[in-house]
Formats: sequence, C-alpha cells, structure tokens
Amino acid sequence: MSKPLHELLQELPTTNVTTTVLKGLDYLVPGEWQNITSLEEMIKSVTGEEDQALIQQIGDRAVMLYNDSGQGYQRAVDIYQLVDHIGAGAGAASLAHQAGESFKILSFLDKVTPKPDTAQAVDAAVKFVAEMAAFCYSSGLPGDSVGDFAASLVNSAKEDSIRFAAWLSFDCIIPLGPDFLSALLGKVSEISEGELGENSRFAKIAEYLPGGLSEKKALVTSTLDASRGHIETFVADKGMSRESLIDRIKGYVDVADAKLDTVAAVLDLTTNYFEHTGIQSVARRLVSRAYGEI
Amino acid sequence: MRSTFRRSRPFARLTKALVFAVFASSLLGAGCKKESRWDQAAATTTSEARAEAREEAGLPPVAEVKQTKGAAFNTLFPGDGTDGYKRVFTQEKEGFAEAKLQKDGKDVATLSLSDAVNDDQAKNKFATATDKVDSYPLITVGKNQSALLVNGRYQVKVSSQSLDAAARKTLLSKFDLSGVARL
Repeated sequence: MSKPLHELLQELPTTNVTTTVLKGLDYLVPGEWQNITSLEEMIKSVTGEEDQALIQQIGDRAVMLYNDSGQGYQRAVDIYQLVDHIGAGAGAASLAHQAGESFKILSFLDKVTPKPDTAQAVDAAVKFVAEMAAFCYSSGLPGDSVGDFAASLVNSAKEDSIRFAAWLSFDCIIPLGPDFLSALLGKVSEISEGELGENSRFAKIAEYLPGGLSEKKALVTSTLDASRGHIETFVADKGMSRESLIDRIKGYVDVADAKLDTVAAVLDLTTNYFEHTGIQSVARRLVSRAYGEI
Repeated sequence: MRSTFRRSRPFARLTKALVFAVFASSLLGAGCKKESRWDQAAATTTSEARAEAREEAGLPPVAEVKQTKGAAFNTLFPGDGTDGYKRVFTQEKEGFAEAKLQKDGKDVATLSLSDAVNDDQAKNKFATATDKVDSYPLITVGKNQSALLVNGRYQVKVSSQSLDAAARKTLLSKFDLSGVARL
C-alpha cells in the first residue's frame, strides 16, 4: 500500500544535496521551482486559494484520488522513485550519507567509476522514457496526437521544468556533450531485445510503456523527435554547455580538476532529483484535477 | 541497633526512571505519528466517500455511472490561439480533461471539463447560481475559479490567479457548450 499523498510530500527534504543542486539550476528556469513539501502549500501554489474550507475540500479530493490505485498516480510515483533507486549500487547510500549541503566532490573520486558513453546515453534515455511513462500514468495522453503529447512535455512549468533542466544538465550535456541528442536517438534506435534483458534499468522502465519493443522504440523516438526543436532552442537560449554548467556547479560544489564524467557520476549517485521533483509533479497534477472536479 | 532502614531514595529514583523509560518506549514503539488534517481522506477513495455520504444522509445506495472518457472532451475546448492564447493539453483521465492557456510562455489560466454524473456535491453547488452563460448556471468557486454546469452533469471551469471573474466568464463562453450539451 502506497504512502498517502500528503505524507509523500511531507517526507521530502527541505534541504539536502538534491535541493542544493536544483536551486543551482534556477537560472535556467527562473522562479519556476519552489521546494514545496506540504499539501497545503501545493494547493495554495496551484490554486491561489486561501479559504481553509476550500483548501480542505481540494486536498481531500487529491488525497482520495491518489489513494485509488486504478487512477495511475501511484504508478507514476513508483516510476519516478524506480529511476533514482535502481542501478545506483551499493556505494550510493554511503556517498549520499557523506554528502552534505555543500559537499566536497574530491572525497568521492576514488569511489566512483565513471560510466562509458554508451551507458550514459542509455541512462539519459531511461530517464526520458521514465518521464514519458510517468506522465502517461498521471496525466493520461492529453490531446489527440503525439504532437499534443510532446507539446505538453515541452511546455512544462514548475517541478516539470526544473526536472527537465536537471536532466539536460546532469544526464545529457555534462556526460555526453553538445551532441547528446544524436547519442540518445542513436542509442534508442539500436536497442535490441537482447539488450533489454542486459540493461535491467532500461527494461524495468520500458515495461511501463505500451506495446512491444518496436512500438516502445517508435514512441520514444517520435517523442524525442517532436521535442528536438524545443530541446535545441532551450539549450541554445540558455547557453548551456559543459563548461558553463561546470562553472555554475563550482559555485556550490568543490569539483577542482575532477573530470566531467566523474562529476556526472557523482551527481548521479548523490542526488535523487527525479524522485524528489517527480513526487511534487504528481501532487501538482492531482491538486489541479481535484480543483477542477469539486 | 538503630534501624538503618529508610525508604531507599536511589531505589525510588531508579523506579521512576524505569517507569518513564517504559512509557516513553511504548510511545516510540507505537510509532507515535502526528495527526494530519488529511488522515480521514487518506483512508478512503472518492467512490467510497460518496457511498458513505449517501448512507449517512439516509439515501439508498446507487451504482456509479461510467463517466464519459476525457478524450471526448478535447474538441470542445476553446481552440488553440483563441484570444491570442496558446492552448496546451495537460491532463486526460476518465471523466476529466484539462488544458492550460499560455501567453508569452507563461501560464495564465487552466481550463477543465469534467463529468460530475456521480458527484452530487459538485452538482449541488450550482443550486444557488444567479448568473449564467448561454442557459447554463454560472458560479464562482473561491477567489479564482468560475464554473458552469451543462445539462446538470458536465462542469466546465476556468481557473486563473490573474484573470478576474469577467475575463473567466468570457473564456467559458469560448467552449463549444452546445457540443458539451450533446455529450
């Protein structure tokens, strides 16, 4: 039985490594992400309402909708949590424990083996697929076409937009460089039935998408294609590059001369931005629906 | 020999400490959890809560009617570009569809269409409506939401933290309300 919605929010840390790195990305989506960790604050953020009786009514509906496992919201939270938990390995817990609000990355250098590019590309694809799957479960398939679906992904705001910025920064540009989209598209198109078994992280997430392997690959590549223009514009407009991102990270993390792929690996192990902001996104969608239905 | 027996003060203190320790650990063992305003809702779902409400009101139980799928609602929203807004669909669930309106990349309003066929509380709030759009009762909910009820079943809503009631009413009229009535 899943934890109730309000508890999921309450248990999100108000400050930790994840919130520190996310705040560091605020310049990419200014003011969009506020670390909301209570249902009442989420209701106020979504609706602007302050009447406590109305807030109670909206929150009750949101909590009840989440409670109904047939609605898909619990599955969406499962997916966001799965991405950050699987494949992290035994080292993750101790690293996360050692990491404080401003952690010294140098102390982790000898504990982290950077992943090869192909594995990085798969991990970036895993997160993109996870986002699509979680979105399908929590929001349905809004509109009537892949275009509408991609539009709702790319016209994101709030927690969705900081998660998108973090994915681009930590999972795409820092580990894979400026040609990350080609690397992603190339890797997804290459994935075979055999590989699905080998890369258990991808397999675990891909099972949440509809259809057989070829349908899953087609859905992912068509959505990546439909989002391509927006992604490229976003990266260009914000001047996102490996160098500029590392410069920013240096503002709150001591990376010294650590290699880029080590930085990427350590951030991957010590943060859970997908789970953290994913829970907030699901809560926001629930509150919006509750407000619309009452 | 003078009796050296006195009530043993160290022993009494130890006993008190033991009693306190047992009490405190029983609280911890019980997983002493703070009560929350959401606890009642957390123990139920919408259909269960409705059934319970009917029972408490002395009403006979009714089978829930299957709601119209959200996909049927999409073509009834104001079109993309209406009044200069970009329309982005955001949710589509059983009995519910939602879109947001954006201007200059910023969210301005949320539009929604929902099937309230099983939701007496949602429908009943329109009983005191004094305004209308076309022939459908119009009310405001809280500070930031305007709602219509079409054919006593479908709620059409505009929610916005920046648009006033008059602007929200205008947006409501841009839905295909006769299409909603034909659902």
